[in-house]
Amino acid sequence: MVQLGISAFYHDSAACLVVNGQVMAAAEEERFTGIKHDDSFPINAIKYCLEEGRIKLADIKEVCWYEKPKKKEERVYKIFNKRPLRTLFLRFKAKKRFKEQNPFLVLKSIGYKGRVKFVDHHRSHTNFSYYTSPYKEAAILTIDGVGEFETITISKGQGNNITKVHSINFPHSLGMLYSTITSFLGFKPNEGEYKVMGLAPYGDPSRYYEKLNKLFKGSGSNLYLLQRYFTWEYSDQVMFNKRLYRLLELPPRLPEEPVIQDHMDLAAALQKIYEREFIYLVKKSKELTGTTNLCLGGGCAYNGVANALAYKYFDSVHIPFAPSDAGSAIGACLKKHTKVSPYLGPNFTNKQVHKVLAKYKDKLQYFKLSEKKLITKTAQLLNAQNIIGWFQGRMEFGARALGNRSILASPRHPMMRERLNQIIKKREGFRPFAPSVPKEEANKFFDMKEDIPYMNQVVKGKTVLIPSATHVDATCRVQTVTEEQNPIYYKLLHEVGGMCNIPVLLNTSFNLKDQTITLNPDQAIKRFLESRINFLVINNFLIKKK
Amino acid sequence: MRKNLIKIIKKWRQEKEYQKKIAELKKRDPFNYKNF
Repeated sequence: MVQLGISAFYHDSAACLVVNGQVMAAAEEERFTGIKHDDSFPINAIKYCLEEGRIKLADIKEVCWYEKPKKKEERVYKIFNKRPLRTLFLRFKAKKRFKEQNPFLVLKSIGYKGRVKFVDHHRSHTNFSYYTSPYKEAAILTIDGVGEFETITISKGQGNNITKVHSINFPHSLGMLYSTITSFLGFKPNEGEYKVMGLAPYGDPSRYYEKLNKLFKGSGSNLYLLQRYFTWEYSDQVMFNKRLYRLLELPPRLPEEPVIQDHMDLAAALQKIYEREFIYLVKKSKELTGTTNLCLGGGCAYNGVANALAYKYFDSVHIPFAPSDAGSAIGACLKKHTKVSPYLGPNFTNKQVHKVLAKYKDKLQYFKLSEKKLITKTAQLLNAQNIIGWFQGRMEFGARALGNRSILASPRHPMMRERLNQIIKKREGFRPFAPSVPKEEANKFFDMKEDIPYMNQVVKGKTVLIPSATHVDATCRVQTVTEEQNPIYYKLLHEVGGMCNIPVLLNTSFNLKDQTITLNPDQAIKRFLESRINFLVINNFLIKKK
Repeated sequence: MRKNLIKIIKKWRQEKEYQKKIAELKKRDPFNYKNF
């Protein structure tokens, strides 16, 4: 059975190829188009999946669509009917959009005439989270902006069966609340939420906590957000109205304006409110399912600070590598437990890399080394405080670079974070970097309950030896690496550890400001040349600028 | 009386500034949020 999973037309469009229940390839459309969080039909990702699987479109037996567009349309019109006049223009806009985005028509236009299976938006999240977990029984909590009607679901997974036990519907959405304050703080909704999370530890939550609390009527499992402060039901523009800034007694920030203490305090209050609601939901999940394992899904599962709080009620927590809508392309296809690697994207041979390098021979010097020599040399360069572009194997699926399309640096120097933020990535100075560490060494440096292979939990650091990897509140968003998961990166970490006794590296995605993660060697070289990255490693090639 | 007037003017100015900002945000496409 050959299935093609698709998520499209909202944000993070993606496609995946599943053959007999095994995920063979997957990629997000943004990597091919260069448009961050691209929401267009993932034609390039589909092409890649078919090429990788060496199959034609005619061989696809089933397309699995990550949500039910008809149901979503029903919700949109139902909401518009509350204010028929105010939403008149928007209704036409929505009608046009739904028509253009009809999956049958879009798939027909690329030549697909087979079966299309539509899976509930939150069920796709649930499937991806639970079926990629190691558990035979678990509670599954999904939190995001909005699907068809639902914004939050709690399900119970037993064997390969999943039963939904609780849900909360639009407009009562924790995800949309987080996005609204994100846009209020001058960052892009659906993109800048992690910046707000990074900003929160710099602020005092008490200043805006009570004010933000006024947005709620009830909380937790009875989450009720007062819509008088938001425009979600009648506008697709700014997500808040004047009542919100009157309540907060703070003007919204424009992106070019400086971030001041007020913004930090608001971010801190928002994070605290989110954590409070998250804990209510985790507790409810425990009560309704009675299990000891928890799977988290939906875009809000990227909130690593809150995720770590789930251990208060559960012994074990699983968060997949792409919990947002991109991962739902895979989730829509899965029907049973499957081991899925996050490395599902394109791979390039040394021969292909050499061909690309030859184009840049007047600008670059490169050396082909054996794996052992490459690791030793790279570790030496990292220990000498060089910043390395690291490009190996298949591209990661999901928002995190997990050691195949990464910029690496040593976390031992306190100025390294600033150097990376300001000189290389040209981004806000308050944003932290994630450290990678071999799994067996992790407990020496971080206070961890379990392995964190996909960088989606924030834990307390135990040492002052890695200042650049530690946030202002002494926390770190760790990635634990095993030999099985990523052998070459694992060896590099150990080599670095052998030289300085600290087998930890700063790992940030291989991209510069406002770019998507690097896709291919040509892009890697161009980015290397236009930045102040000191060395580039692509497969077995060590590259430096002339 | 004078104090109250100053207060009202201050609030009115603030409101105007906030509204200007919202209008500016509306113009910027990345700040549009698709709820459908």
